[in-house]
This record gives sequence, C-alpha cells and structure tokens, in this order.
Amino acid sequence: MSKPHVIVIGAGFTGVATAHDLALRGCDVTVVERGDICHGTSGRTHGLLHSGGRYAVKDKESAVECIDENLILRKIVPQVIEPNGGLFIGLNESDLAYAEQFIESCEECHIPLEELKPQDALKLEPNINPKVLTAFLIPDGTFDPLRLALAFAGTAKHNGAKFRTYHEVQGFVMDGQGNVCGVKVLDRAANKTEEMRADVVVNATGAWSGEVTAMAGLDAPVKPTPGIMVAYDQRFVQRALNRLNVPSDGDIILPQRRMVVVGTTSYDAENVDYIPVTDDQIKLMLERGSELIPGIRNSKPRGIYMAARPLVGGGSGRSMARTFKCYDHKETHNIDGLVTITGGKATTLRAMAEKTADVVCAKLDITTPCVTKETPLLSYRQYYASPN
Amino acid sequence: MATTRNQPSARRFWSWFIPIRRDIGSWAFALNRITALGLTFYLFLHLIVLGLLAQGPGAYDSFLALTENPFIKLGEWAVVAAAILHGLNGIRIVLTSFGVGVTRQKQLFYGFMVIAIVVILFFTTKMYIG
Amino acid sequence: MSEKWNIILRIYRQKEGEAPHMDNFQMEVNPDEYVIDAVERAWAFHDRTICFRHACHHSTCGACGMRVNGVEKLTCITLIRDVTYDGATLKVEPLRNFPVVSDLAVDMGLFYRKMEKVDARAVLPVTEAEIENPPRKWASEDSEYIRLSDCIECGLCISACPIMATTPEYLGPAPLAAAQDHGIHRKPELLSIVDCEDGVWRCHSAFECTAVCPSFVDPARRIMDLRKQVVGTRLSKLIGKA
Repeated sequence: MSKPHVIVIGAGFTGVATAHDLALRGCDVTVVERGDICHGTSGRTHGLLHSGGRYAVKDKESAVECIDENLILRKIVPQVIEPNGGLFIGLNESDLAYAEQFIESCEECHIPLEELKPQDALKLEPNINPKVLTAFLIPDGTFDPLRLALAFAGTAKHNGAKFRTYHEVQGFVMDGQGNVCGVKVLDRAANKTEEMRADVVVNATGAWSGEVTAMAGLDAPVKPTPGIMVAYDQRFVQRALNRLNVPSDGDIILPQRRMVVVGTTSYDAENVDYIPVTDDQIKLMLERGSELIPGIRNSKPRGIYMAARPLVGGGSGRSMARTFKCYDHKETHNIDGLVTITGGKATTLRAMAEKTADVVCAKLDITTPCVTKETPLLSYRQYYASPN
Repeated sequence: MATTRNQPSARRFWSWFIPIRRDIGSWAFALNRITALGLTFYLFLHLIVLGLLAQGPGAYDSFLALTENPFIKLGEWAVVAAAILHGLNGIRIVLTSFGVGVTRQKQLFYGFMVIAIVVILFFTTKMYIG
Repeated sequence: MSEKWNIILRIYRQKEGEAPHMDNFQMEVNPDEYVIDAVERAWAFHDRTICFRHACHHSTCGACGMRVNGVEKLTCITLIRDVTYDGATLKVEPLRNFPVVSDLAVDMGLFYRKMEKVDARAVLPVTEAEIENPPRKWASEDSEYIRLSDCIECGLCISACPIMATTPEYLGPAPLAAAQDHGIHRKPELLSIVDCEDGVWRCHSAFECTAVCPSFVDPARRIMDLRKQVVGTRLSKLIGKA
C-alpha cells in the first residue's frame, strides 16, 4: 500500500520539524516554500534556546514547554547550539522585587536555577553591568536559526521528504465537497504553475497563516507581532543575558559567534512581507542593551533586522501567550484536508511538530508513535549535500 | 527543484586577467600569470632564434640587424622587466607558501614591487643611456 | 530623520530555459540600510518573481552572499552607503562558480558536500577560535564554553577564488580552511583528502578568499598553514620509515 501524501506549506521551523516527524511516521511528505529554508520569521529569530525562565512567572504553560524542549534539543541537535547557559541579572529595586516570584515560578516549572552573588556573576561574565545586584544561572543557550532548521530538513530529506523551494502556493485544490485535496503552486524558478495532490495539507506558514487559510475562505487567529534585533560586533558574553523582570523591550542579549544580539520589541503589524526598521527602535536597543552590557556603546552594529512573530490567542503584544495551537479545519470550519499549526517559539519546534503530526496521523489512520524525542538529527549539511 | 547551470563563458574564463575591484593579492596573481605567459613565449622564441643561429654566420648577421630594431629592443626590455617582477613576486609566493609572512602578504607585495621598480629603472637607464 | 537616496537597483535575472538578463528597479533607499533590505523590498513591492536567499540578517547563517557591483559581499551586513551613492546604480548578481537556481539564488550542494568531506567543525571551544583581540583574556575554564565556529559557509571565498573559476574539482578555500581548523595531527584521515592535486596544492596565492571573507576565517593563511602541516606530516612519516 502506498504511503499517504502530506503537503507541508512553509519551510520555517514548524514546517521542517513537521516534515521530519511525518517522514519518520511513514508519510510521503512534500514541503513547498515560496522562498528558501527560513525565509520568514524563523530566519530572523533571536536564537535563544529558552530555559523558560522568561515565561515562568506570567506564562507557565510556555515555560514548561520551553525547558522540556530545551533539554531534548541539546540532545538531538548539539551541532547548532552554543550551550553555555544564561544569566538573569537584577540592576535595580524593581528587579530585586521580581526575584522572589521568579525563584518560585522557576521551581514550579522545574527550571533548574542557581542564585549567584554579584561578585561571582561578574567573575563569570566580566562585561556585564558592574552595578549588578543579583544574578541567577539558568540553562539558556544560543542556536543558529538557519542551521537548526537545516538539521530537521536534512534529516527529513534523508528519510524521503521532498523539498520544493521557490514554489509559491497560490490556491488550494478542492474536491467537489468543499474539502482541500491539494495545492496549486507557482514554481518561481521556472515560471510554471502546477497542481499537487495530497491526503492532508499542513499550513505551517507562521505569521502568514491567515493569508494562506484565506485561500480556503477561512481565517486563522494569528497576530503577526514584529520585533527588532540589533547585532553588535563584539562577543561580550559567553552566556545568554536576561533582565530579571517582567518581559519587556531590549531585555535579552545573546552571544553568537563573534557578536552579541540585543532584542527585542513587540508591536502589531499588518504587512508581514516587509517590515521596515525604525530609528527609534534601534536607539531603544542601544539604550536597553547598554544597561545590561555597558561596553555595547563602544561597539558597532553589524546587522539590524525585523521579523514578525506568529502569536495566537487573545490580547496583544507582550500580554499574548507564547504557546502554540494546532487547528484541524474539519473541526473548526468543516473543511477537511487542511490543518493549521501556528504560534509557538523556535525552542518548541519539535513539540509543535509532534502535536501536528499526531493530528495528521489520526486523520490518516497512522498509528506509528512519535520518535523525534530520541532521534538524533543528521548533520545540517545533509539538506544541501544530498541530491534532490 | 529547478537547477540551471551557469555556463562557462569567455568572460568567466578571462575574469582573472584584469581583476577589477579585486584586492591587491589578485592583481599580484594576474601579474604573475601574465609575466609567466610572456616569459614562456619568450623562451620559445629564444629557442627558435637559437635554431636559426645554428644555420651559420649569415643567419647570425641578419639576426644582429634585428636587435637594432626599437620594437625588438622594447621586447627585450619587457622580458627583463617581466623576469624581475615575476622573480620577486615569486619569492613572495614561496615565502607565503611556507607560512612566512602570510598575514603580511600585501606589504610583501608592495615592498617587492618597490624593489622591482628601482631595479627596472636602473637597468632601463643602463640599456638606453649606457 | 533618516537620509533618502534614489538609486537604480540592477538585479541579475534567470529563469529556467530563458536567457539571463538584468532588471532595473528605481528605488528610494536609506543609505544606512543593508543591501539585502533593498533586494527584499524589490521583491516585496516591485517584482514578486525575484528569487533570492536570506535568513538571519546578521552574518550567522551565510545564506545571503551575492556579488555587489562585481565583488562578493554578505548583503545583510553590507551598508548601501558603502557600495553606492545617491543617484547611482547598485548591481546585484549571484555568486560565481555555483550553478544558478534562479536569479540570485545558487545551488550550494557541491560546496556543502566538500564541507562534509572534511567534516568541518560547526561548534568548537571558544578558546580554540583564534581571535586576535578577545574581549577579555581567556582563562583555563573558558575552554568549557562552546561557540559556533567562524566559518558560516557563505561561499563568498569560493566565488572570489580564481582557481575555483577554472575547475569545480578544487576543494576550495572554505573546505581547506575547515581541514586546517581540525589539524592533520588530530584528524589523520584528512591528509589524503587535502594532499592532492585538487587539494592544498591547487591554491595559487591570489589571497582573494581572505579579502572577501566576512567572518574572520582568513582561509589563505589557513591553507598555507595546512601546507606546512602536510609537509611536516609527510616528512616525519618518511623519517619514521627510514
């Protein structure tokens, strides 16, 4: 019996991780992406391998997802991770007041943390603000966004998944009864359109989820929420650096290769295809970043960029939950053959894929269990190195 | 996925010849190749001329007449200049190939070229003025 | 208020089965933006058929390498101010010595296979990444910190190398640099891979790879050091046998 065919739209974190899971469960997977791997939000993510500390107080569901997936990713894809942990540092009274609930919440979410005296924190990281009043060590990390996705994509490709990059979905193929049974794509490299049939189509387009579901006449409750990142040209710290307080703008600094990246902001946006960088946001990153690392004032920006997070659910900006949702549109709108997975964080990509693959496999009567928790990924180079 | 091959073109093959907008290392590379081609061409010419000379004193006299031709003299100048440039740059290549001065390869090139220009000026005056 | 320049963005176009040509886009740009921003805007607002590759926008992924006015650049960290001026043209073409997929996107297959062949290190201890001026002096415990290696596999060196233009068989600057980063004494199987006609001896010292590398790899220096390693290993084998 031939394998069921699943088309995944989108080759960002969600799409490639889902392709990887589905391929291991016995599906014939084709990923269609109008750009290349990580062209959208995933490419321009900050790169924080979350310990969950940031969400422990206000968003415990996300925090637990993060710490669990953090440990899994360290095991299955160490080749793309700088695993040096992270610091939450307090610089003023408001930060100190946050410490107690921070400790309690982290313990509640089983996030390991260790309190440090200011002088010990400065010994570990001499370039942080010398006025540090308190510090906590937690298991954060940095990852290379593109290579994390390539590792999933390359492994999926090795297991039979096909990747059709520069293929833009322009519409759905419907069967006579109002269900989705395929996609119409434009091969942008060849200027040719074609139809692809599938048993299930997975919409993994993140911030563009609403645009894609609109092609089937329905909307997805995703709110594109952009934020800025500024990379500076010196590696001031070896660990992630967070401000010990409620999540706010410019309160995370990550080392990556010979840089540090300061992020981010959070606001609503309409047009997701191009989000301009504004001078006031750049200034804000410099201000907030130099509170954590004063030396940033003497370094040069190396790259400045924006991308839109796909946030789901109610509220706006920082009050929105960072969790993910999987919608089977047979249940939401009585349109079978289409599943949307959106929301989430880069750190939870494997869990998002597991949930999505569970939903898809239930529809296809596939009972093979998920093995992605224990399956080490192949070298990220496999995506390009193996033939198409 | 559509893959179109870049076809090798005349432009690509000769792109090393004039390394426009390239760094000084590429100019040194081009200089070495061009002088090498020139010196090789001269070598063959030299062997051919020697072969002619083996045909006796008459051929020798007509050859001597040739050497008075200003274009031939310019050619001889070019050969010596090429040898000086190629030789000095060649020393730089040998040094860097053994890991000596790799991080100073640009300064090495400029230094050797200054020496080359001085030597070329010297022998030019000797050759034309005596 | 940010400055505004008017430039003509000239982009190389090639679709399957068609002859390549250049397209011109009249654009208003902020000179303190990066070249990739202009390319992305050309796609978003002028011509949705443009194919190009990008991801991180801060020189860690290596995806956005292109030729800007004929010279290899990582377009996400190349300021428009540094490569053109108000009223001028900005020419953007794909990397040389790679097959073109479409427009500005090239096929990285052969290059990544070579990096796999030498098993290039993706992560390494922070103390082993040769930095000339580290933000602070390394202490012994710093060796426990792991960081992503300098080489981001962007392919600029491959495009700039005049020898790569003559044959795709040559290993190339980045793979050879990655082999040197391992060291033959640590990975003896590299000896036969690099000590050959298309390995470390194919380099003819143009040094253009180091000139265009955006990520401090200095492939030229590493290739010369690798030659020393090869010669040293062969000699000691010879002496060992004798």
